[in-house]
Amino acid sequence: MDQLVIKDLHVSIDEQEIIRGLSLTIPKGEVHAIMGPNGSGKSTLAKVLAGHPDYTVTSGTVLMNGENVLDFEPDERARKGLFLAFQYPSEIPGVTIANFLRAAVQARMPEGEELEATDYYAELYKKMDLLGMDRSFTSRSVNEGFSGGEKKRNEILQMAMLTPEFAVLDETDSGLDIDALKVVAQGVNSLRGPKLGVLLITHYQRLLNYIVPDHVHVMVRGRIELSGGKELALQLEEKGYDWVRDDITEPALA
Amino acid sequence: MDPSAVLEKTAAIVPENAAILGGPQSRGDDSRPAWFGDQQQSAWTQFQSLPMPVRTDQAWRFSNVGALDLSPFSLARPLAEADGREVLERSVGLDETCGRLVFADDHFLERDVLSEKLRNAGVIFQPLERAMIEHEDLFRRHFMSQPATLGSAKFAALHEAFVRSGTFLYVPRGVEVELPLETFHWLHAENAAIFPHTLVVADELSKVTLVEYFRSTDRTRPGFACGVNDLIVGAGAKVTYICAQDWSDHTLSIQINATTVARDATALNLHLGLGGKYSRLESLSRLAGEGAHSDMLAVAIGTETQEFDARTLQDHASPHTFSDLLFKNALTGSARNTFGGLIRVEPQAHFTDAYQKVRNLLLSDDAEANSMPGLEILADNVKCSHGATSGQLDEDEMFYLLARGIPAPVARELLVGGFLNEVLERLSDPVLVAKLEALIAAKFARRAR
Amino acid sequence: MVKQNTTLDIERNLGNFAYPETHTHDAGTGLTEKTIHYISDVKQDPDWVREFRLKALQTFLSKPMPTHWASKDLEAIVFDKIRYYLSGGIQPKRTWEEVPDDVKRTFERLGIPEQERKFLAGVEAQFDSEAVYSNIKKAVGEQGVIFVGSADGLKEHPEIFRKWFGKVIPTGDNKFSALNSAVFSGGSFIYVPPGVKVKHPLQAYFRINAENFGQFERTLIIVDEGAELTYMEGCTAPKFNTATLHSAVVELVAMKGAKIQYITVQNWSNNVFNLVTKRGLAHEEAEVKWIDCNIGSRLTMKYPGVVMKGRKARGEVISIALAGDGQHQDTGAKMVHAADETTSNIISKSISIGTGRATYRGLVHVPKHLKNCKNNTECDALLINANSRTDTYPAITVRGTGNAVQHEASVSQVSAEQIFYMQQRGLTEAQAMSLSVNGFVNDLVRQFPMEYSVELKRLIELEMEGSVG
Repeated sequence: MDQLVIKDLHVSIDEQEIIRGLSLTIPKGEVHAIMGPNGSGKSTLAKVLAGHPDYTVTSGTVLMNGENVLDFEPDERARKGLFLAFQYPSEIPGVTIANFLRAAVQARMPEGEELEATDYYAELYKKMDLLGMDRSFTSRSVNEGFSGGEKKRNEILQMAMLTPEFAVLDETDSGLDIDALKVVAQGVNSLRGPKLGVLLITHYQRLLNYIVPDHVHVMVRGRIELSGGKELALQLEEKGYDWVRDDITEPALA
Repeated sequence: MDPSAVLEKTAAIVPENAAILGGPQSRGDDSRPAWFGDQQQSAWTQFQSLPMPVRTDQAWRFSNVGALDLSPFSLARPLAEADGREVLERSVGLDETCGRLVFADDHFLERDVLSEKLRNAGVIFQPLERAMIEHEDLFRRHFMSQPATLGSAKFAALHEAFVRSGTFLYVPRGVEVELPLETFHWLHAENAAIFPHTLVVADELSKVTLVEYFRSTDRTRPGFACGVNDLIVGAGAKVTYICAQDWSDHTLSIQINATTVARDATALNLHLGLGGKYSRLESLSRLAGEGAHSDMLAVAIGTETQEFDARTLQDHASPHTFSDLLFKNALTGSARNTFGGLIRVEPQAHFTDAYQKVRNLLLSDDAEANSMPGLEILADNVKCSHGATSGQLDEDEMFYLLARGIPAPVARELLVGGFLNEVLERLSDPVLVAKLEALIAAKFARRAR
Repeated sequence: MVKQNTTLDIERNLGNFAYPETHTHDAGTGLTEKTIHYISDVKQDPDWVREFRLKALQTFLSKPMPTHWASKDLEAIVFDKIRYYLSGGIQPKRTWEEVPDDVKRTFERLGIPEQERKFLAGVEAQFDSEAVYSNIKKAVGEQGVIFVGSADGLKEHPEIFRKWFGKVIPTGDNKFSALNSAVFSGGSFIYVPPGVKVKHPLQAYFRINAENFGQFERTLIIVDEGAELTYMEGCTAPKFNTATLHSAVVELVAMKGAKIQYITVQNWSNNVFNLVTKRGLAHEEAEVKWIDCNIGSRLTMKYPGVVMKGRKARGEVISIALAGDGQHQDTGAKMVHAADETTSNIISKSISIGTGRATYRGLVHVPKHLKNCKNNTECDALLINANSRTDTYPAITVRGTGNAVQHEASVSQVSAEQIFYMQQRGLTEAQAMSLSVNGFVNDLVRQFPMEYSVELKRLIELEMEGSVG
């Protein structure tokens, strides 16, 4: 039950198939990394799990704790415990982080129950301290004028506040210098535990030096082609993705 | 070509000193095609039927419409041979070009021919009157094909009725013309009326730069210039068009530009306004194809009682198009500047980025700047902004220069130059930038004298 | 993509009710000199007012419709079909109990005078052409503050009234100011004596109850040296099948060092043509601030202005416009600098939803030989749907070396990505939309007095509901 199970997933955009029969199981308490070359469909997978309207699921299921999340709207999936850290988080001018997160936390409470402001801020500040974020951060508009590092840190802060059961981190390392990368990785590591399953999507191996995965999967042309332990990431770094491609028995497209 | 031969030939066909308000006269010999004569006649009828602009027209708001008296102006005879030679000597542009046309009082004087290589590649760079015969189909397809929509429909009709000469430039598919081409249009006779016409057709994936110089032989003589320049930029092509206007300070000038930019093509227009008593520029960029890109740039330096009047339209007709307008004006004496610009994003032109910026520098108590930047947004997922500022030279900057011992007039000139530079620097070619800077410096030097 | 479906009207329905007409005075349809005489007779106008009206009628008739720059929708107004004066023939009542029952019910349903008890210093309520209720709190009246209907103002205080009436906005300013000058009825006259700072706002409430009717109130406010006033007005009308016209003229005079803040929350039903001329005159070191919020009407054309006549005078316009399906909010500001060291500030935010269109028109004028004048203009537009539209048409004239003028405008979108991002955090699409829109106007809404900013936020939220989904 306590797992995220993707079964034979097929996804298209504009009639073009991008994910072509992908299966993957992530039990709670584990960190799985998906690596793959550009255009392999990694980011599509992240968006599809979260319910982005641009993509059409043509077949397959995604079971989260036994429920098919594909039946739900994006906000329902989120409230059921699925979190996506965006590769390119949107800017929301005029809406402060404090108000935004408050609305998100409130949305998870039972109807008629009001969030206690003091409790909320206490919790928020605790999580911010953990991520080494300045208090003044909360009064800034969501992602507006943020540096790459600030945006990603803000994603992790939200993840910390919304306590998901499964988190998908889409290219969380993109746009980060090494210092920012360490801070973000530390944040993610502090949230690891038996109640959280993590799917890390990344192009580069370097993130995996800081967030050490339990399993590594290689995605090529819309499907998992190779799975292994953390050492697989190092192999990839050394040999490049062509090595996986050569390994594939199926003839390459065009 | 021997210039004197041209003088002889044109002398025979041009009516003498006919006031333009008397209408186009039939030309004795007329080697021009009949369709052209017909088109001129119907344009004249149209000119007569359209009303003169008044200030209550939104397109002429703030304009000094009183300056538009056309009665003194007439078509001029060809230049005397000595004058023609002098004009040619003074027609100095860039050191390196790959072609040059020179006109005076709308008479073609000389052509520096294109290299054989370019000719063989199919590049056409010739006077209008030849192009309409030798390349009739191509010419007719594009000649006056863009309606003037920014207020000067009447003057566009006048232009069409009287146009006698000008430039036709055609660059075939895939041909890149590395060096710039140049044209010179001179006003010479007292109260001469000229109608410079430029038609540039750049086919797919071609590349070309054209620099035009508008000048007067005598800075004290009045004259009237009513020009049209149309640029048709094919898919993936890149056209750079520069107009350096330095008419005499007694010239009435109306310049009407339309630029059509096809899919993935890039157009860059730069207009330098130095001369003229009243100079109006109407410039339209139509982003017709997906991925089209247009830069619209202008610099005007107004002194004494000069008036510059610019009306622009960035017309986004396709998605994922980009336009960026930057106009900078430095005004002193009792010079006036009016800017009326519109960004229009049509309903289907989603994912458009359009920017418009006007900066006025007021250097005297009587200088005046009117700005009307406009936006009309009918599409979705659009990023648009416009800004207009009017202000003075920064006192601290001025003081800093003075404290270094730089005399005030020099300091002012340096700072004004710095202010205008942002526009010129948008040109990627340092040779072009240097040329325009030299023209600006010459205007400053003229004032200092 | 954000879907489009914009049946709003949850809040409008609050005002969408009408009682049977029981008018004793009705000038009939159409506008001639006879109409003017009828109005003047009923109102027992002094001769100078009758003359003023007749002259204004000629000006109105001679002026063309401004359709060469404004919306062609103006042509839908048929002046011959409009009723220019309707009243129950009653004098404004000073206590709520005296107000006729059906009229009382109308205003009670709209929450008046409940609000008055809460925080207002005085209220005037206009029902069609005439004020039906006018009350000023005793303490404020004792300070010498005059707050009456314009008809009483011109009769009881002619020495102040005539001095300024029609001086800030001349009859011929535009076609609709001329129309108002010909047939005006109702509106407020306020005078605040020197040094008096009216703590609580005065309020006027305008209600159109009759079909085919034109409401033409006229307001004149004079705040004497060093005095301060906040004035608020609200408007509603039921939804009739035919178009209704509201064409007011509001003139403000701020004497030396005075401060006037004029707040409007316009929520007419969306078949009202709302064509209003508003201008303030600011003397030395005085401040005139317009806070203008337009949510209702079919077409609003309104550009509140400030003429800064004295040294160091200040003018400000804060404008929020919400253009829903079928609406056109054509709003903006005029700032005329006429003395040294004057400063003006314009902040405009508009939101277009569905087929709504928001237009900003601005005029900033700094003539020569003025020193150290400053203007700052910011106008931002937010588009919600693919078929909404926004335009910006400022006109800025600056002469001379001592002045600085800055104009900036931007257009942005609530994008599908932005909504998806918020949904991923667990917010519903409607919540996400509402949060985005409130984020956009938040800094302006905060400028409104507390009671109004809460109300406004709620209004915007309600308007947004149903605009997605």
